[in-house]
Amino acid sequence: MRLDPPRTSPATPDSPRPLLKQAVILAVTATLLALLVNAVRPDGLPLVATTPYETLVPCPEPQGVVAPITAGAALAAKAFFVDAREAEAYADAHLPGAVSLPFDYLDAVPKAALGALTRQIVLSGASQVAVYGDGGSPDSGEELAKEIAFAGIKNVTFIQGGVAALAAAGAMVPGTAP
Amino acid sequence: MTESAARLHRRLAVPIRLYLGGVFLWASWHKILDPHGFALDIATYDILPLGLVNLQALLLPWIELVAAGALIAGLWSRAAAVLTCGMMLMFTVALGIALHRGLDTSCGCFASTLEATDPISGWTIARDLLWLGLALYVAAFDRRPWGLEALLFRRKAIS
Repeated sequence: MRLDPPRTSPATPDSPRPLLKQAVILAVTATLLALLVNAVRPDGLPLVATTPYETLVPCPEPQGVVAPITAGAALAAKAFFVDAREAEAYADAHLPGAVSLPFDYLDAVPKAALGALTRQIVLSGASQVAVYGDGGSPDSGEELAKEIAFAGIKNVTFIQGGVAALAAAGAMVPGTAP
Repeated sequence: MTESAARLHRRLAVPIRLYLGGVFLWASWHKILDPHGFALDIATYDILPLGLVNLQALLLPWIELVAAGALIAGLWSRAAAVLTCGMMLMFTVALGIALHRGLDTSCGCFASTLEATDPISGWTIARDLLWLGLALYVAAFDRRPWGLEALLFRRKAIS
């Protein structure tokens, strides 16, 4: 007697094909449900966004350790001065010899700018860095000082009271950006 | 595998399947209620091109919901587990990219990224990998599952 080989369907129970077919059916069902519900709900989304989303992510937190210093002490110490205010404010008036590096609360200081500043500080031979900003709360000078300290520069301070304290000391001069 | 081991795996797969179904039901709910918020969450990850953000925000929660329903009901549960595996892989990759970029926000898995809960971390990735493992287990062992499929099969066999 000749035995026929056992018949097997193209997709046996252990084959992944029926499983994948079922998965596709579930996904298609979900897709149809999603499109249907979106079409009937009053606050449905357009299928393709055309306007970029205003994404909100927390601002980067500067992390270096810095110390406060008075305007008088900073001027006497002949520190390397950095102006953290916007470029326009720097162009209006700044401390003679101060380098402008505007601090932005929403974006970290560009690495290239921070690297260039670090090189200038090292080449200057100054033993102390004093950063001044708007003197507000928070103070842009203090925040920039933290970033500079975090980049590896030692002995970084920020001037208490910021530009107002330096102006009161008569140290600010009208000028233009370098 | 021995018959007793296979039986044990089949029995273990049921509570795992119900747990995964619950997780995905919970995860899908806030996204379905607030598709705009979920689209913003996806945009915050900054991985997909803008043209695909809304489509992803619309389809993904419903795939989660349908997969959750199938897992809980025990109807095509292995296929639902395969879908779940696909989604977990996608979520893990997205979280890995976000973590690598230093995105300091909530993962948006069970609430909007604007809420300060469930921040993206190594823990969220480990959790997703655990769920991926559980989904693979269900896909591999939930044969002749307890649930709707078993009821339908029994009725078919009787009639």
